[in-house]
Amino acid sequence: MPPDHNLDDYVDAPGAHRHGGPLRVGLGGPVGSGKTALAAALCRTLGEEFDLAVVTNDIYTTEDADFLRRNAVLPDDRIEAVQTGCCPHTAIRDDITANLDAVELLEARHPGLELVFVESGGDNLTASFSYGLIDVQIFVLDVAGGDKVPRKGGPGVTAADLLVVNKTDLAPMVGADLDVMRRDSAAVRGGKPTLLISLRDEPTAAAVADWVREQIRVRVPA
Amino acid sequence: MRTDVEIVARRGPGGRTVLPVLRATGQLAVRRTGATTVHLVATAFGPLGGDDATIRIVVEEGATLGVLSVAAAIALPARGATTPSVQRIEADVEGSLDLRLEPTVVAAGAHHRAELVAGLGPHGQLTVTDQVLLGRAGEEPGRWTGTTRIERGGRPLLHTTVGLGTGEPAWLPPVAPRAYVSTVHIAETVHIAEEEVGVATGQDAVRLPLPGGWVTTAWGAELHRVVRAAAALAPAAPVRVPA
Amino acid sequence: MTAALLTLADSRLPAGGHAHSGGVEQAIAMGVLTDAGSLTTFLRRRLATSGAVAAGLAAAACGGGDLAALDAEADARTPSPALRAASRQQGRGLVRVGRRAWPSAAWDELPALPHHAIALGVAAAAGGLGPRDAAQAAAYLSVSGPATAAQRLLAMDPLTVAAITARLAPEVDDVATRAVADGLPAATDPLLDLLAEVHATRKDRIFAS
Repeated sequence: MPPDHNLDDYVDAPGAHRHGGPLRVGLGGPVGSGKTALAAALCRTLGEEFDLAVVTNDIYTTEDADFLRRNAVLPDDRIEAVQTGCCPHTAIRDDITANLDAVELLEARHPGLELVFVESGGDNLTASFSYGLIDVQIFVLDVAGGDKVPRKGGPGVTAADLLVVNKTDLAPMVGADLDVMRRDSAAVRGGKPTLLISLRDEPTAAAVADWVREQIRVRVPA
Repeated sequence: MRTDVEIVARRGPGGRTVLPVLRATGQLAVRRTGATTVHLVATAFGPLGGDDATIRIVVEEGATLGVLSVAAAIALPARGATTPSVQRIEADVEGSLDLRLEPTVVAAGAHHRAELVAGLGPHGQLTVTDQVLLGRAGEEPGRWTGTTRIERGGRPLLHTTVGLGTGEPAWLPPVAPRAYVSTVHIAETVHIAEEEVGVATGQDAVRLPLPGGWVTTAWGAELHRVVRAAAALAPAAPVRVPA
Repeated sequence: MTAALLTLADSRLPAGGHAHSGGVEQAIAMGVLTDAGSLTTFLRRRLATSGAVAAGLAAAACGGGDLAALDAEADARTPSPALRAASRQQGRGLVRVGRRAWPSAAWDELPALPHHAIALGVAAAAGGLGPRDAAQAAAYLSVSGPATAAQRLLAMDPLTVAAITARLAPEVDDVATRAVADGLPAATDPLLDLLAEVHATRKDRIFAS
């Protein structure tokens, strides 16, 4: 190591090592909470406005990608699947190499790209994205997982830039109290937003799409 | 014992292949057996441990040569010697060389090293096959180490060393085959896309693309089955060669 | 040796290695790898072939060899397209983190998607290490990643897997020593080629290779 080596040169703010390029939005959350359905909804709703693409981190490579092809009207060259070697949280947080490769590949393939969704494999409540990979992250819970989940917290719930509680239409069936979920989320999230949605009742995910639009708008240009 | 073979093939009048150099000393003789073929003939048992054979082949531009052998070579251990027998083939190919020696059977206790270093010119084309059987019938396997290096214009196209038999580090159960076959084919043109001859796989057999050609490798318990498995993966219409 | 070697060989270095099983996922699928014993066998043959080749290439790249020529030598020793892709993918990942960890002009001399072993040699040199260190890291990484992949896929006892890796240390050292002394090895294992190519066609794989 050279003697004039200055650590400050290599320590930077989250994401500061890259400039410009599309807004990268992480989509995390437990298995079955509706990450892929939300990604597909956002692609449909925002696809006309923005040049966008998706990276999937499914356990079995092609499942989510196939779903997106069918449901998000995305051509194959806008979907990249990443293998995570049994460790979905590692691939989005500890060693983001494969995901960076996929995002950079999409950026190179589509030079006008404005928005990339990185959908994590289903994981637990502690899984969150590294800000070396994404700019903002959405954590997706569902009502059927139990109304106690927001209270349990964990980095996914507490630190995500947006918490989405999906499948509100199921609340009466599973005995979940939406007010409890709303209140507990607010309590553990220090003012960061939470949206309760039902993709079944409102398949455009308009509220989440609005939030994404706002992230693109407020983003400091390179 | 030292064995030296030297073969030069040249394009002669009317496009015929002539052999201005055709000589052998030691344990091999070389006989012209056809318009474009020669056969290597063993003149002694072996090779034995410690024997060292070098076969130099030059195929000049426009010439075609097939090098075959009349019978399987049986590598045997020398009494008291632990050194391997070595067969080194050095080929300089501006024309077309087809190198198809009969199988090498490596007897129990023997270690045979086979080396091929082939340099191809811009129009050189090469087909080379190794067939190996470890141990004669009812015998423990011997040991075979085969190195292949093929270059075109100084650029390496393929460089591999395969070790088979007891003592070789990658010859371990449950995949420790007694029979092994590998064929490399490099066509004249280097411009053929690798996708044209893509990957193919079989049970204990694989074909991989090379710049302008391919390599098939197969392994198993019985040589005749392995030969068939390797042949099954060879492209039906080998890499096209411009007329 | 300096502590840079520990960083370079650390499985937690974010260079993308965790998504590669080195043939283990397919070896399990084909029934070649089933338990601790067959894992040890698999790691041995991997170390002796692709590990030795990587060690030789890494040492040469670290020692100031012509990087483009070494990359061509790596290609010649890696005819399997799937293995080439896996190597170059990991090379790219290592360059990404290595550039920031150990700034050096040598990074710019690498081809765009270098083989992992070549990138490893450059990383070692940039980190102030020597060819023997580079060879050792390459040899070690040829077994450490696949070992943990087997642990994850077979739910093996992690203590057993750690012990297997640890006990291979003398063989890892030996491979590294010979890689430096004997020039560029070319040892290959056709089984690994076959596993990699069959694996690459699967749609239900968890690992990238």
